[in-house]
Amino acid sequence: MREHPLARVLLRGATGLVLAFLVAPMLAVVVLSFSPTELMVLPPRGFSLRWYEDFLTAGRWVLATRNSFVVAIATTLLATLLGTAAAIGLQLGRFRGKALLVTLLTLPMVTPYIVTAASMYFAYALVGLTGSLPGLVLGHTVVAVPFVVMAVLATLQTFDANLLRAAASLGAPPTAAILRVVVPNIWPGIAAGAVFAFATSLDEFVITLFLAGPGQFTLPRQMYASVREFLTPTILAAATLLFLCSLVFLLASESLRLRSARKTLP
Amino acid sequence: MTDALVRFRGVSKSYDGRTPVVTDLDLDVSRGEFLTLLGPSGSGKTTTLMMLAGFEDPSAGSIELDGVRIDTVPPHRRGIGVVFQNYALFPHMTVAENLAFPLSIRRLKREEIATRTRRALEMVRLPGFGDRRPQQLSGGQQQRVALARALIFAPKLVLLDEPLGALDKQLREELQAEIRRIHAQLGVTMVYVTHDQAEALTLSDRIAVFNEGRIQQLGTAEAVYERPANPFVAGFIGESNRLAARVLDATLLRLEDGSTLEAMPHAFAPGTAVLVSIRPERVLLGPGTQGLANATTARVEEVVYLGDHSRLRLAHAGRTDFVVKLPRQEAVPQPGSLVDLAIPVAAVAVFPA
Amino acid sequence: MRRTNWLAALLIAPLLLLILGSFVVPVGLTLFRAVADREVAAALPETSALLASWDGQGLPPEGAFAAVARELAAALEERRIGDLAQRMNFESTGLRTLLLRTARAGDRLRAPYADALVALDARWGQRDTWLMLQRASGPTTSLYLLRALDLTRTPDGTVTQVAVEEKLFRTLFLRTLWVSLLVTFLCLLLAYPVAYTIARLRAPWSSVALTLVLIPFWSSVLVRTTAWYVLLQREGPVNDALLGLGLLDAPAQILGTRIAVVVALVHVLLPFAILPMHSVMTRLDATYLRAAASLGANGVQRFLRVWLPLSLPGVAAGGAMVFLLAVGMYTAPALIGGDRDQMVTWFIANFMTRDVNWGMAAALSAYLLAMSGAVIALTRLLTGGAVQTGARA
Ligand SMILES: Nc1ncnc2c1ncn2[C@@H]1O[C@H](COP(=O)(O)OP(=O)(O)O)[C@@H](O)[C@H]1O
Ligand SMILES: [Mg+2]
Repeated sequence: MREHPLARVLLRGATGLVLAFLVAPMLAVVVLSFSPTELMVLPPRGFSLRWYEDFLTAGRWVLATRNSFVVAIATTLLATLLGTAAAIGLQLGRFRGKALLVTLLTLPMVTPYIVTAASMYFAYALVGLTGSLPGLVLGHTVVAVPFVVMAVLATLQTFDANLLRAAASLGAPPTAAILRVVVPNIWPGIAAGAVFAFATSLDEFVITLFLAGPGQFTLPRQMYASVREFLTPTILAAATLLFLCSLVFLLASESLRLRSARKTLP
Repeated sequence: MTDALVRFRGVSKSYDGRTPVVTDLDLDVSRGEFLTLLGPSGSGKTTTLMMLAGFEDPSAGSIELDGVRIDTVPPHRRGIGVVFQNYALFPHMTVAENLAFPLSIRRLKREEIATRTRRALEMVRLPGFGDRRPQQLSGGQQQRVALARALIFAPKLVLLDEPLGALDKQLREELQAEIRRIHAQLGVTMVYVTHDQAEALTLSDRIAVFNEGRIQQLGTAEAVYERPANPFVAGFIGESNRLAARVLDATLLRLEDGSTLEAMPHAFAPGTAVLVSIRPERVLLGPGTQGLANATTARVEEVVYLGDHSRLRLAHAGRTDFVVKLPRQEAVPQPGSLVDLAIPVAAVAVFPA
Repeated sequence: MRRTNWLAALLIAPLLLLILGSFVVPVGLTLFRAVADREVAAALPETSALLASWDGQGLPPEGAFAAVARELAAALEERRIGDLAQRMNFESTGLRTLLLRTARAGDRLRAPYADALVALDARWGQRDTWLMLQRASGPTTSLYLLRALDLTRTPDGTVTQVAVEEKLFRTLFLRTLWVSLLVTFLCLLLAYPVAYTIARLRAPWSSVALTLVLIPFWSSVLVRTTAWYVLLQREGPVNDALLGLGLLDAPAQILGTRIAVVVALVHVLLPFAILPMHSVMTRLDATYLRAAASLGANGVQRFLRVWLPLSLPGVAAGGAMVFLLAVGMYTAPALIGGDRDQMVTWFIANFMTRDVNWGMAAALSAYLLAMSGAVIALTRLLTGGAVQTGARA
C-alpha cells in the first residue's frame, strides 16, 4: 500500500532532516576534536591529534577515565548478578503481587535522577557512604539494575518452563537446573542487560555529582566541570572517545538482539 | 492390589482454591504396567501427572511411590522419568549432551556415560545422531531422544504427557509401536496421558478414563470399550447412538417415538427414565436381519464413503441422526431408500438418564 | 511448589534488599524530610517543652524566657546554633540576628529574664516571635511544602501568599511544566513521521534509518549536551552559519536562552519518542491497510481511521517517556540554560549543595515525584497498563 507520491516525498524529506538533526551534533564533535587550533570552527582548518595527546597525558582525564571504568565494571558485575538472579526468581516464583514487585524493583528507572541522587546523598551520608567508591558503585547499581531485570525478564518470556521441569525430572536440583539449563539459554538477555548497565554507569552524571568525593572524578563529571570552566577541544576528544564507546554498546546490543530473535524462531 | 508402585489416595487439586481440577482421586499403578490416562482436554490428566512428577502439590490427599509418601520429596529426588509433549530437549546441548545430562548430574564416570549414551541412541534407533542439536532433528526424532533421555537413568517409572500429540498420524503409529516395544523390553512402569482414544486402546494394559477431574472408569481396553461404566465413557470411547427411553419391564424399553426396544435384563424399575447407548458397528443391516431381536426398517438419510467402511445416517427412533457402519463388502444403499436393520439385545447398553 | 517459592525468594531477596536499602528508604527519608522539623526541638529542648503548654495568649511565662536565654547560650557555646538560626530565619527573615544576639548576650542576662530579653531586643516582647518558636518546635511542619507553592503561614497559623518579591516556585513549576510539555509536543511531532517512514521502508534502508536513531539513543546525554554547548557558542558553528546565511548581523548569544534548552532537550529525548512508536508501528501489519483499501478507504481515510488509532499506544508511551525524562532532566538545562531560567531539578541541586536547605530540596523533590507519578499513572490509565515506560537518561 503506497502513499501518495507527494506525501511520500514529504515524509522521506522530513525523516531525512530529523535524522540529520539527530546525528549532526555528534559528527560535529568528532570533526572538531581533530581541530589543529583551539578554534572550534566548521569546516575544520586542518587535522591534528594534539587534543587526544592532551587527553592521554593530562593526569585528570586519565584518572577520570580510570575511575569511570572501575565504577562501570563494578556496577555491571553487581547489577548483572543481582538483576539476573532476581529476574529468574520472579519467573520461577508463584506468588501474588509479582507485578507490584517488578514495579518496585524497576522504580529507579522512572524516578527523576535528581531525586534519587539527592535522597542517596542524605541517606548515604548517615552511614558514611558518600565520597566512597562503594557508595558510588551502589548508587550506579540502583539505577542500572532495572535494565538488567527488564532485559532478563524479557528473554525469560521466551524460555520454556518445561525445560526446568525436564531438568528436575532428570535429577537436577534447582541450582544446577538454573546454572546448567536456564542461564545458557537466556545469556543473550543477560549480556544485553550487562551492556545496558555498563552504558548507564559510564553515562551517569547526576548521582556521581552528589555521591562522589572531591577527588572522585568520572569522565562525565570531568567533562561537565571542564565545560563550565573553560571549553577546550580536549573535552571534544573525550566526548569522541565516549561516543565511540556508545557505538560499541550499540553494536553489542544489536547483535545480541538479533541472536535472541534467532533463538526464539522455531 | 499389593504390587502397586504408585498409590493416589484421595488426591484433589485446585489451582485457585475454588475451581476443582482433580477431585478425590484414588488410583493404583501396578509395577510394570502401561497405564493410560485418557480424557478430553482440560479433564485434569496433565495435572495428575504433574502431581506425580512433583511439579504441582496436591491440595489434599497423598501420593505414595513404592510404599513411601512422596509429598515432601522434591521432583529432582523422585527419580521419575518424564517425557513432555513439546519434548523439552535442552536447545543449548547436543543430543548426546541431553542424554548425558541426568548421568552427569548423578556423577557417573565419563566412560560409563559414553557407553550408556551410545546404547540409548541405539535403543531408539538413532545411532550417530549424538552430535546433532535438537533443532536439527525432525519431530519424530526429537521425540525419540526425549524418550531415551527419560529412560537413560533407569527410572522405575516413566510419565509421558501426550508425547505424540504434535506428530502426524503415520509417525504417531510408528512411535506407538516403538514405545510398546521399549515398554516390553525394559519392563518399566509407564503412565501415559493422551486424549486420543485409539492411541489409548492400542498401547495400554489399563486405561483410566478422566472427565472433569474424576476417573469415570478404570479397566482394560476391552472393558472400557465393550462395557462402558457410564454414558460419558460410552460416548468418549468409540462412537455411540444415544437415545432417551423409559423402562417398561426387566428387558423392554420404550423409546421417545413410542417404539419398544429390547435389552439385556437390567435392574431399573419400570417407569424410570434411562439413556440407551448403541454402538454403530454393532447394528446389523440387510434383508437377513428380519426376525432377529429389535428388527425394523429405516430410511437412509445420508451415506458417507470412508474407504474401509461406509457410514449411514438413518431416520430411526424418531430421529434422523442414528448412525450405523456398513463394512466394505456390503452393497451400499442409496439415500432415500429403506433398509432393514436389527439391534442385538447385547448391543443395547442402558444407563441412568 | 513451596520449595520453588523459597528458591525464588532467595534469588529475589538480594536485589530487593539493595533497592529497599539504597533507594526506597532514602527516597522515603527525603519525603519525610520535606515535613520534618527537628532543629528547634534539638537546640532548645526545654524551651520547646515549655512552649508546648503555653496557650498562645499574651506572652509565655518567665520560665520560657529563662530557658531560651540559657539554651541559646549553650547552643552557641557548643556550636549547635547554626541549624536553628537558619531554620528560624527561613520562618521569618531577621530571626537569625535576634537569636545570635541573644545567644551572645547569654551570661550577661539576669533574672527576671522576661524584662532582660525585651530590653535586649524588643522582638522578645512580641507574641509573634514566641508563636513562631512554638510552631517550629516540631516534630513536623508544612512550611517547606507550603513554601514550594509560594505559600506561608502568618505567626497565628493562617496560610497566605508570600510577599511578591519572594514569589518564585509557582513560576518555577509552571516553567518546568511548560518547557517539558513543549519538548514533549515537539518530540512527538518530529518522531511520528520518522517512525512511520522507518516502519514502511524496505529492508536495508529501514535498518540504516533505525541505526541513525539508535546512535544518539546509546550515546551519553552529557556528550550530546556538550555537543550543543559547542555548536551554540558565540563563536560556534551555528552562529557562523547564521552569519554566513545573512540571517544575523552579529553573533547572537544563544547559549543560556530557553530556545537553546528546548533544542538540546528535543535532541536528547527524541529517540525516546521514536523508538516506542517504531516498535508499535512495525508490529502493525500492512494487511490492515490493504483490508481498509479493499473496503473502499482512500489514503487519508486509511491513515486516519486505521493506522493512527492503532499506533496511538506507541505515541502515548513515547510521550510519557519524554515528559518524564524532561521534567527530571538536570544535565542539559543546567549546562545549556541560563541561571535565571532554570528548572525544578536545578533548584533541588542548589538547595542541596549551595543553600544547604535540605527541607526545601526535599519539598521540591516531593512535588517532582508527585508530577512523575501522576504522568505514569495517567499513561497506565490511558493505555491500560500495556505500555512499559523506562529508558536510559
Ligand atoms: N498452572 C495452572 N494454573 C491454573 N490452572 C491450570 C493450570 N494448569 C492447568 N490448569 C487448569 O486445570 C484444568 C485441567 O488442566 P490439565 O490438567 O492440563 O488438563 P488436561 O491435561 O487433561 O488437558 C484446566 O481447566 C486448566 O485450565
Ligand atoms: Mg494436558
